[in-house]
Amino acid sequence: MPGATQSHGRGNFRGRVLENRSICPDHYRLRLLVERFPPSCPGQFINIQCASVEGIVEPRQADRPAGRPPRLSQPELTSRQPLLRRPFSLAGRRDLAGGSTELEVMHRVVGAGTAWLAQLTAGAEVSVLGPLGSGFAISERRPMAAVLGGGMGICPMLYLVEALTAAGKEVVAFAGVRTGGALPLASAGAEPPSPAARPTMCTAEFAEKGVATVVATDDGSLGFRGLLHEAFAQWLAQRRPDGADLTVYACGPEPMMKAVGDLCLGRGIECQLALERYMACGMGTCQSCVCRTRAGGEPGWQFKLVCKDGPVFRAEELLWD
Amino acid sequence: MSETVDLSVDVAGVSLANPLMTASGTCGYADEYADFVDLTQLGAFVTKSVTLKPRAGNEYPRVVETRAGMVNSIGLANVGLEAFLAEKVPLLERLGVPVFVSIAGSGIADYVAVAGRLEGVDVVRGVEANISCPNVKEGGIQFGTDVRQVSRITQALKRVCRKNILIVKLSPNVTDVAAIARAAVDAGAEALSLVNTFTAMVVDTDTRAPVLASGRGGLSGPAIRPIAVYMVHRVYTEVARGAGVPIIGMGGIQFARDAIEFLLAGATALAVGTALFVDPGCLLEIRDGLAEYLRRGGHRSLREIIGSLQAAP
Repeated sequence: MPGATQSHGRGNFRGRVLENRSICPDHYRLRLLVERFPPSCPGQFINIQCASVEGIVEPRQADRPAGRPPRLSQPELTSRQPLLRRPFSLAGRRDLAGGSTELEVMHRVVGAGTAWLAQLTAGAEVSVLGPLGSGFAISERRPMAAVLGGGMGICPMLYLVEALTAAGKEVVAFAGVRTGGALPLASAGAEPPSPAARPTMCTAEFAEKGVATVVATDDGSLGFRGLLHEAFAQWLAQRRPDGADLTVYACGPEPMMKAVGDLCLGRGIECQLALERYMACGMGTCQSCVCRTRAGGEPGWQFKLVCKDGPVFRAEELLWD
Repeated sequence: MSETVDLSVDVAGVSLANPLMTASGTCGYADEYADFVDLTQLGAFVTKSVTLKPRAGNEYPRVVETRAGMVNSIGLANVGLEAFLAEKVPLLERLGVPVFVSIAGSGIADYVAVAGRLEGVDVVRGVEANISCPNVKEGGIQFGTDVRQVSRITQALKRVCRKNILIVKLSPNVTDVAAIARAAVDAGAEALSLVNTFTAMVVDTDTRAPVLASGRGGLSGPAIRPIAVYMVHRVYTEVARGAGVPIIGMGGIQFARDAIEFLLAGATALAVGTALFVDPGCLLEIRDGLAEYLRRGGHRSLREIIGSLQAAP
């Protein structure tokens, strides 16, 4: 790296697939082995190039013998893979002996990039930029934490829960999904999720870390019938925790995060929200992933970049459109 | 590694160690990519466009990916001239490569004011007048699509650019790019950058509305490369070669072979844009690929192949 410029502890890495397991329809858990990955924290993300590492190497047309006709295989014709990278929040990290790191992300097939990712098998290699963005800040003072994940927003919460429990926090998780089938549940012996928004040891991913979960499903097929923030509101009302004791961390659909943010701000509860935006680079240069935040002076707001200033913002910073 | 190949080029008196530079708007102002690529190895660094006053830019969504490309409508979001001078110039000074500052404005006076201030900044070696941004209501492309306006703004800038070379960045959204290029060169442009993005639109078929908040944007990426190569070649043969004005070629360069196409078509230097979003390190891979291509072809210097396009078989 150049000595003339400052390092932010990010980089471009080669990741080797350790496992790419389907966890429920269309959803995969991808574990990558990366050498010398910089320190990271929950809420940060990686940008994966959804194209074969071989495919992005310059075709060696210069090898063709003189006098032979050129191959009509331009790179964009030889590649049916998307141009831009896809961002994925880190769902976990494990540092291994010898300087290698296991990174975990989850992905859902929604288009060409994630369809390409879904077919990866162990041993495949991918290009990984990261760690990107700013993560969640774990409160020094507040002993309790509620983590709320809506849909794919559950992923960063898995990494966060590890950090929170390691910091000695008392943690309760909220997981919102459209339907019960979209959630990996703990195996036999676990209590069924309570329809009354009470946490149980039901969601496998959180139970593994000793954290009980309130489950909310849109269709009522599991746990609380309704939206995640409604389950959270009910839990808050029943439990009446002191706002000064609790930090809330949320990631999911924006209406959910706005509702959670409003609930917390009204009760003096610290609240950190992880936003999602369409982005081209993830490194703070393309300027596409803007969100509106409060600012002093005229006009009273400013755009911030979700990839660089975020993706985690404090609820009081955000101005929702 | 056999003998070394001379990759250096000269852009209107500014000597570059190699022809590779960043394309404005895709690389920030200075050190944003420092973690991903050794920027000191570039031929030159071109900043994001700077305007007299800061600009917040357009509403979200600002980009959408297309097949082999992307459409953006950022709206010249930038920190403004004062913050650029105070905060970014010190970072640029540490890069150790020639810096060209892209400038934009809503009127000729804005461009002139920014260019005038940049005369006092040593590390800056040139200004690139962005008269081709398709994403702002005023200024930008309205200058770049009218020969009289191109002439007027170039003349005005030429009067203030003394230390700095004057590069004019052309829009491809014109009927006759050579006529625009001629107007710029006749009015004093010392180098031409082409092409900027192609005005484009992507429609969401569910909402039946444009995907981008501003309705339309500029298409970039590998999809535009063949049109950009054609435009570079046309401007080279019809204007630039005769006038001795170098072309900075850009539009969809991602691999060394893409870059070679532009050189053969007549570009002296090359800028990489959208591909940086995927991998900033591609700049140096392209540079090394150029050297390998030249070695295999038995060339001593990159300058030997500039504009050496053969007639179609």
